[in-house]
Amino acid sequence: MQGSGYVWKRVGFAVVTVFVALTLNFVLFRVLPGGPVSQISRVPNASPALKQALIAQFGLDKPLWEQYLLYLGQTLHGNLGVSYMNRQPVFDNLIEAFANTIPMVALGTILALVIGIAAGVVSAVRRGSAIDHLSTNIAVLFYAFPTQFLGMMLLIAFAGILPAAGMNDPFAIGGSRWDAFLDMLKHMILPVTTLALTLYAENALIVRSAMLETLGEDYILTAKAKGVPRGRLIRAHALRNAMLPIVTMVAMSLGAIVTGSILIEVIFSWPGIGRALYTAVLKRDYPMLQGGFLAITVVVITFNLFADLIYHKLDPRIAT
Amino acid sequence: MTLSTPGTPSPELVVRFGFWPMLRDVVHQPAALAGLAIVSFFTVLALIAPLIEPYTIHEATCAVFEPPSWQHWFGCDDGGIDVFSLVLRGGRISMIVGATATLIAIGIGATVGVLSGYFGGWLDVVLMRVTDYFLVIPQIVLMIVIAAVWGPSLSHVIVVIGVLMWTSTARLIRAQVKSLRERVYVKRVEALGASHLHIIVRHIIPQVGPLLVANTVLAITVAIFNETALAFLGLSDPTAITWGTIMEHAFDRAAVSSGAWWAIVPAGVAVAVLIMGCYMLGRSIEDGLNPRLKVSYLSLHGWKLRPLVGRGPDAV
Amino acid sequence: MNSALAIQDLNIWFGTDVGVRRAEFHVVKNVNLELAPGERLGLVGESGSGKTTTILAAMGLLTSNAEVSGRIILDRKDILRDGELSVAPHRWKDIAMVFQGAMSAFNPVKTIGWQIAEAMQVHGVARGVAMSRRIGELLELVGIPADHASRFPHQFSGGMRQRAMIAMALACEPKVLLADEPTTALDVMVQDQVMKLLVRLSKELNLALILVTHDLAVVAQSCHRAAVMLKGEVIEQGRVADLYHRPKHEYTRKLFDATPDVFAAAQAPRRVSTPPSEVPQNAPLLDVRGLSVSYLRSRTFGDMVRGRPAEAPVAVDDVSLRVKRGEMVALVGQSGSGKTTTLQAVLGMIRPRGGSIQINGRDVTSLTSRQWRPLRRQVQMIYQDPYESLDLRYRVRSTVEEPLRVHGIGATAKERETLVSAALDRVGLTPVQRYLGRFPHELSGGQRQRVAIAAAIVLKPELLLADEPVSMLDVSVRAGVLELLNELRADSRMGILMITHDLSTAANYADRVAVMHQGRIVEEGDAATVVRSPRAPYTRALLASIPHPDPDRSGFGDSAA
Repeated sequence: MQGSGYVWKRVGFAVVTVFVALTLNFVLFRVLPGGPVSQISRVPNASPALKQALIAQFGLDKPLWEQYLLYLGQTLHGNLGVSYMNRQPVFDNLIEAFANTIPMVALGTILALVIGIAAGVVSAVRRGSAIDHLSTNIAVLFYAFPTQFLGMMLLIAFAGILPAAGMNDPFAIGGSRWDAFLDMLKHMILPVTTLALTLYAENALIVRSAMLETLGEDYILTAKAKGVPRGRLIRAHALRNAMLPIVTMVAMSLGAIVTGSILIEVIFSWPGIGRALYTAVLKRDYPMLQGGFLAITVVVITFNLFADLIYHKLDPRIAT
Repeated sequence: MTLSTPGTPSPELVVRFGFWPMLRDVVHQPAALAGLAIVSFFTVLALIAPLIEPYTIHEATCAVFEPPSWQHWFGCDDGGIDVFSLVLRGGRISMIVGATATLIAIGIGATVGVLSGYFGGWLDVVLMRVTDYFLVIPQIVLMIVIAAVWGPSLSHVIVVIGVLMWTSTARLIRAQVKSLRERVYVKRVEALGASHLHIIVRHIIPQVGPLLVANTVLAITVAIFNETALAFLGLSDPTAITWGTIMEHAFDRAAVSSGAWWAIVPAGVAVAVLIMGCYMLGRSIEDGLNPRLKVSYLSLHGWKLRPLVGRGPDAV
Repeated sequence: MNSALAIQDLNIWFGTDVGVRRAEFHVVKNVNLELAPGERLGLVGESGSGKTTTILAAMGLLTSNAEVSGRIILDRKDILRDGELSVAPHRWKDIAMVFQGAMSAFNPVKTIGWQIAEAMQVHGVARGVAMSRRIGELLELVGIPADHASRFPHQFSGGMRQRAMIAMALACEPKVLLADEPTTALDVMVQDQVMKLLVRLSKELNLALILVTHDLAVVAQSCHRAAVMLKGEVIEQGRVADLYHRPKHEYTRKLFDATPDVFAAAQAPRRVSTPPSEVPQNAPLLDVRGLSVSYLRSRTFGDMVRGRPAEAPVAVDDVSLRVKRGEMVALVGQSGSGKTTTLQAVLGMIRPRGGSIQINGRDVTSLTSRQWRPLRRQVQMIYQDPYESLDLRYRVRSTVEEPLRVHGIGATAKERETLVSAALDRVGLTPVQRYLGRFPHELSGGQRQRVAIAAAIVLKPELLLADEPVSMLDVSVRAGVLELLNELRADSRMGILMITHDLSTAANYADRVAVMHQGRIVEEGDAATVVRSPRAPYTRALLASIPHPDPDRSGFGDSAA
């Protein structure tokens, strides 16, 4: 019973945050001077008919609050407008882009987590040893590399060996489904490696210090006194407690994941949400930009909520 | 702090108190010294860049994508401009952007953190709610949107990074100030009749000072990182030369497919080394401030036996 | 010779890295201890005496910067012989330990039952159904219902956690139990229960027990023998009664003298007497009437929706108190009794919900913090923990000078320096010149507390509030600080309101005692009378739970020695 209060609180917070993002979106694009929607004339290649349609759609002839309500209603119905570029509904564009992004980002993030936690734990347990120094220094190095730099270096290094752009080979027609899947995997190697390397570094450093903190706690001494063997001590006591800061870490790194995947999709021409956002900026495709911002924000807020709920599961001390 | 009681601290666990001993510990770490050396080196380089750059960056001085040579250490870019000179110049602006954005962020963050943590109550609730929203919304995307709406410009980049980056500082400082607020010596000074301003200026800020310094140094890494990311996405001023725009320009002009790695590597390595320096310095200060990291009950080697004279085989 | 455990010629050194320098401390020097099955030995000493390090060494639990030599003989075998290798098999199976802070000694994310089970699992003592039954038995043995095994440590009270810790220690049926300050953070009544439990278990299970503590009275009531440690050495050991009646070492005598004895205080007249009747009977300095305080809990959004008020249950209820000039009043109670809250209200840090507080005839009940500021010259406070109450970055001079600056007293630096020196001289930090430039970490606990007192009396207050002023100090320096307060009362005619959990301290130094329980004052009166013939049942229970330093008086085990 105690716990459900916490769950509802976090869900409530997530919902309110989505509204904040929605409002921010509205303010940025409509209210602020120079907001692109208010200057509808900026739309490239717009025919008078389209302009008329846009003014009607956004309700630009109505007072601001009515526009806001209209905007909220439309957004909640999934109507994010029409992309200036390909004249497709923004919503459909976003779904397609996300479908492409998710496998790549998920794989990269999971790899980064696994490697990061392993490296961090080994470092902390063997604190001060050569392995610790080596692992920490490598992590600092990768932490310091800008993602786009790392990506470009990998591109140059593996030019001709691994596919460098897109998520499949446009000339490979007629292969089986399995071939297409293998082809996509091959295309994923470089982007996923770049993402994993960028993210792993910070994970490793945070896990190391979280583990070091728990290893200094009194209950570790108690467990050692009980005769708990080393492996179990690390797993069941130290790592189990260090999971709390690690979950927080993952939640906090959502921003970094988003940044990394945008840069990587641009470098490797991966047709995902990041690249869609980038193209929208270049082409001044405001409905896409607006929709992309909203979509990414909602996804991040959702994962943040997951992290909160997992934290709650892991820590019995959280009551309300 | 849990209850501490007489007779508890065993001498090996006693943490050295005091500000200066802590600072001394920090300075004695090799990582801190290395970091400090790197940061100073880059700062000096940025200051004297115009004096030492070998070529002008405004006109071509060699062939397109000319590889590195004795004349042109880092080769040339697509416009035949000397990359070494470019990187020297780019560092200047990148570091100014990074430092200014960081100062804005730290200024906002520290103010929010101190007010929120010290006064608590509804002020704390309101400020922390706002912080929470800013924390959850993916900043780079918001930066992209804002930069796209306002148009690309260096000052926009600074303001956008600065105004969006303060949240973690605010949280950190708030937590610290909140715990300081509960410390007995602060309560004692309050009971002496001191004003809030006196307490904040004389007792709170000096205590969070070192942490703020560490946080500032670490925040610079994020600011520079974000600057290069925004520049790479074409949201920085295209005419300004920064490490970010140098990389973006090279990528844009197919340096990658031409194999002209020298157009990218120097700027990238410069960013990496500077970030590494800031990180090492910042982390060393932070670790030095965290007494909990000084004890580990699970060391690689346990305690040792020291043989005593007379400890024969028939000891029992 | 049939000993359960023998420690022979134990020496321990710690190496530390101080910046780039390396230093070595010889922390335990040639310690020899021996105890028979079922015997209870008290290991007594002040902070830094090496007593905890000694028993940690017996379990091989030292950190990697430690070097050990000597023998730990268990079952006729030297378990130190091959270092970690030879100690490890005996941990928990033969020697188990009860740690000091049971809150931090339990893993916070695992249930109590899980943690007890773990001890049995790793040693293969029990498994399956037998194990869960054993967990239930163990918990019931220490007086915890068996179904509490599925609870988490934070759901237990302090005393229960310590009992659960004992249950866990007994899981593998050890022959020797080491207890490191097992009751230090606990209230005296809970301490009484836990000590009775330890003594009972030692008798029933024929368990050899080493009790590490700074409290001689606890040892006197629970142990057969005691060993006194000072600076890493055992300076004296023997039967408890011998140590009490015929201490050989000067330090042992000093420790016993400093141990408060509530019963002696009740018999003998007060140490220093200035009859309060000599005080001119004008209006009391502090007059608290019908004070009640309830803590404000910040209202959550849910509270507002449900219309729940923001106030929590009452913390202080209808408390009335008076302190006259030159009088020391002690407010006695256990943690959570509301005594600290009362003090906070008098200091104007908490707004009372009802009642009135008058200082020097002026009603201060509803002053704002700004209105309070000039008044603070008259009312000063001394805090419990001298390690916490001083800003570590301030030298003694600046710490004592700060109140003068805050109130704009003393026009010139020289004038202020004179006042600072006078205050330091008053609290006995002489020669003053030696202390002015020091930082807190260069002072001992007692000296720090004197600096804190100097910073309070430099304003020449009329009312001094003291929050457990000696409970964080080593036993041997407590008397000095209390004596100083007594002098301030007698010579400077300050009124002192002291709160303490220790009825003995109150009985020894206060003119009047008020006993607080659950937010109310349950008994009030002349100090000697309250101790000698308590009327309230709570006071009687409190008195009964105080351990007596004389081992011949009945104690935890009824016939311990």
